[in-house]
Amino acid sequence: MKKRNLGFYLRIYRKILVQDLKSKMSYRADFIISTVGMIFTNIAGFVSFWILFQNFPSINGWGYYEMLFLYGFSLVSLTPVQCLFDNNWSLRQYVYSGDFIKYCFRPINLFFYFQSEVFDIKGLGQLVFGVGTLVYAWGKIGLACTPVMIIKTVIFLITASLVMIAVQNAAAATCFWINNSFYVLDLSMRCKDFARYPITIFSPLFKFIFTFIIPVAFIAYYPSLVILRPGEAPLLSWLSPLFGCLFFWLSYKIWIFGAMKYSGTGS
Amino acid sequence: MVIKMNLKKYLTLTRAGIIESLQFRASLFVLVLGNLLYLTVVYFLWKAIYASAGTDVVNGMTFSDTLIYLVLATALFNFMEMYTVWDMGRNIQSGKIVLDLLKPMGYRSYLFWSFSGSFVVNFFGVFLPTFLVVYIVTWGAIPIGISMLYFVIAVVMAVIINYSIDFIVGTICLYTESIWGINIMKQVIVLLLSGATIPLAFFPEPFKTVAEYLPFQSIYNTPLTILLGGTGTEAVFEALGIQLFWCVALLAFSSLFWKLSLRKITVNGG
Amino acid sequence: MKKIIEINHVSKEFKVLNRREGLKGSLKDLFSRDYKIVRAVDDISLSIGQGEIVGYLGPNGAGKSTTIKMMTGVLEPTEGEILVNGNVPYKNRTRNAQEIGVVFGQRSQLWWALPLVESFRILKDIYQISDADYEEMLSLYRSLVDFEELLHKPVRQMSLGQRTLSDILAAFLHNPKIVFLDEPTIGLDVSMKDKIRTLIQALNREKKTTVILTTHDMGDVDALCQRIIIIDKGKMLYDNDIEHLKGFFGAYRTLQLRFDGDIAGHAKQLKEELALYHAAVTVEEEWISVLVNEEKVRVMEVLEAIQRNRVIRDMKLNEISTEEVIKKIYEEGVM
Repeated sequence: MKKRNLGFYLRIYRKILVQDLKSKMSYRADFIISTVGMIFTNIAGFVSFWILFQNFPSINGWGYYEMLFLYGFSLVSLTPVQCLFDNNWSLRQYVYSGDFIKYCFRPINLFFYFQSEVFDIKGLGQLVFGVGTLVYAWGKIGLACTPVMIIKTVIFLITASLVMIAVQNAAAATCFWINNSFYVLDLSMRCKDFARYPITIFSPLFKFIFTFIIPVAFIAYYPSLVILRPGEAPLLSWLSPLFGCLFFWLSYKIWIFGAMKYSGTGS
Repeated sequence: MVIKMNLKKYLTLTRAGIIESLQFRASLFVLVLGNLLYLTVVYFLWKAIYASAGTDVVNGMTFSDTLIYLVLATALFNFMEMYTVWDMGRNIQSGKIVLDLLKPMGYRSYLFWSFSGSFVVNFFGVFLPTFLVVYIVTWGAIPIGISMLYFVIAVVMAVIINYSIDFIVGTICLYTESIWGINIMKQVIVLLLSGATIPLAFFPEPFKTVAEYLPFQSIYNTPLTILLGGTGTEAVFEALGIQLFWCVALLAFSSLFWKLSLRKITVNGG
Repeated sequence: MKKIIEINHVSKEFKVLNRREGLKGSLKDLFSRDYKIVRAVDDISLSIGQGEIVGYLGPNGAGKSTTIKMMTGVLEPTEGEILVNGNVPYKNRTRNAQEIGVVFGQRSQLWWALPLVESFRILKDIYQISDADYEEMLSLYRSLVDFEELLHKPVRQMSLGQRTLSDILAAFLHNPKIVFLDEPTIGLDVSMKDKIRTLIQALNREKKTTVILTTHDMGDVDALCQRIIIIDKGKMLYDNDIEHLKGFFGAYRTLQLRFDGDIAGHAKQLKEELALYHAAVTVEEEWISVLVNEEKVRVMEVLEAIQRNRVIRDMKLNEISTEEVIKKIYEEGVM
């Protein structure tokens, strides 16, 4: 038997992805409506943001364009979780109906096999919005446009996205222990809305919670600081790529542990 | 006698719903915990916002007004959101809707009463505790008196309006294959234009007027502004009158739309 | 014969929350921590050789699927040891998975929206099947079923029978050593059942695949299995040939009768009249069956007793069927 390395998994993912897209295109009405829905969500987000700043000039020393930068940053870093890990939302139904067992019989990584089944193309719309916002805010703030800055931004964006993936994995995995985990997932999704505010507005206790327990501050605030206000950025900001990887790894372990424990219960 | 029998068959559904939601004990705890967390975030966020504003009153609302408004909007959302669109959409896709149509009551009432159980649980488990906490935290900001009664009336009508909108959107699922897209659009529009995320008082002018002419503001904005008082009795009655109008209009429309759409199922066999 | 599965004194326990009834009960459950231990599989030992087709039978909740999950490596036994193909399944789930195939009659494992051929191509990659082996398998499939008709159809558009057929083909695709079939013919019509049985038999013959079959349909057992294993309440009741099993009940014969008039009435009267003769009366559509134990009473005597009070319109005399044997074992155990 040949070894199953990264190349093997990438090849399978690509194959499933292509097939999945092909079959999605066959439900064209659904595809269009969902895309419109996604655009709606983003527009509504912007409108709320805009209304808020019509009434208040700044929040905790953060001006309109800086907040917009945070907002765009969070949108972009939330794209991977939307696109690649959307099957987490169906996990509880598979577990509840017992259909989850079908994922356990293949000779490949269980987590990979489960997540590979769905690619949510709608997330790409969000990516466009996010990048647009980010570029717009970038220009308005007058940040330098050097290769180093761009590479830095990309690296911090990628690792920030790992945090949200981690939060969602962990939230989805709760369905292995509790019956109706929809509320947990829903809560984790609401958490992402908190990500776009500077963590300095919270009391020390909640700063701690949002940094280490539900690490939403790593989705936009800490990594953005490195780019927006490098002088003020604490050590945590510079370490955020490390934390991203750590949180992702932890959530993966929790997910797999839950899956193994679940398949142990009855039929 | 007939009425009593009828009520009994509906209340059985309520009871089943209560038992069912209690089965999911962990999720109830999570719901409460999640709300607490959410409320904390709202608290700190708006505290920071008001601190940056430099004045105590913005658009006629103090910090504690805004807090009460947003917290109770979340609590109301928790007990009003019945995921009707999801359920209808799934039942339509799987064809299970044909079975539900065989039940000896209208589909609209069947769905509503099936949900009413979790309604009761969420009211006592989420709304009431939240209300008490907010009442104590912002002692004195919520006036006790006749406005409470108006608030209750307004909430009842809000439930009916919200359900009717959900049912109309759910019916649209008969025509489209998309559940997620339809549902998300509805949710986004309702939450924004009803003033659930930001009070309507903060909306800049053209937006505000548009929102006031739409039915959505009757769901969250009307009951909550009535509760906060500050408006005269006349304004309260006017708001309730508008709610009543939307109640009747949307009930009639949802019923008509469903009847017309039902032909589609019976013709195509679901 | 080479042993491919060996199970030694395996048990499996689960912790289950005691739930109470009614509205009050659910309120109490909200805070209760009242668990009980359930022994789903209790000290089972067996071994299965390469190329066998074994029927794994038992009433609902007997512990069948728990055993199968342990053999597939999804579950870890509480006690005892399992070797599948020389491996301990739960310690190396992926290696074990390479050598087995699994089909659940009610749950398709194929990609719902994809045409079958695309599912096959993905499986080819996942199981790392070489081009030559893949082509060989497909040409075998072509010779066994109407393969082309299935190949380009998305799974969601298939009938239940076609879907089961496809699932079975998918499970054999990587030429596994063992295939587990869980109620493969459930919900299918007679001709489809027949097709599926023929297919399983052919694949077992061609590829020497060991097949472990759980089912409630004794037609499956009669058509496919030489050997059956019966468990109930987690304990093993029987493990041997079917013929041997029938030997236990060799003295039993079934008398099938038809009468004019109300069949339920006749059956009720017969039950009372034949109580003395140790004969069991059951109704199957328009026939009344009387199960007679010839060690205790002769068939002719029973027949006389029946005729005394009524006229027999039609009759048949049968050896005991597998169905009845299994039913007797579930009800009374093996003596």
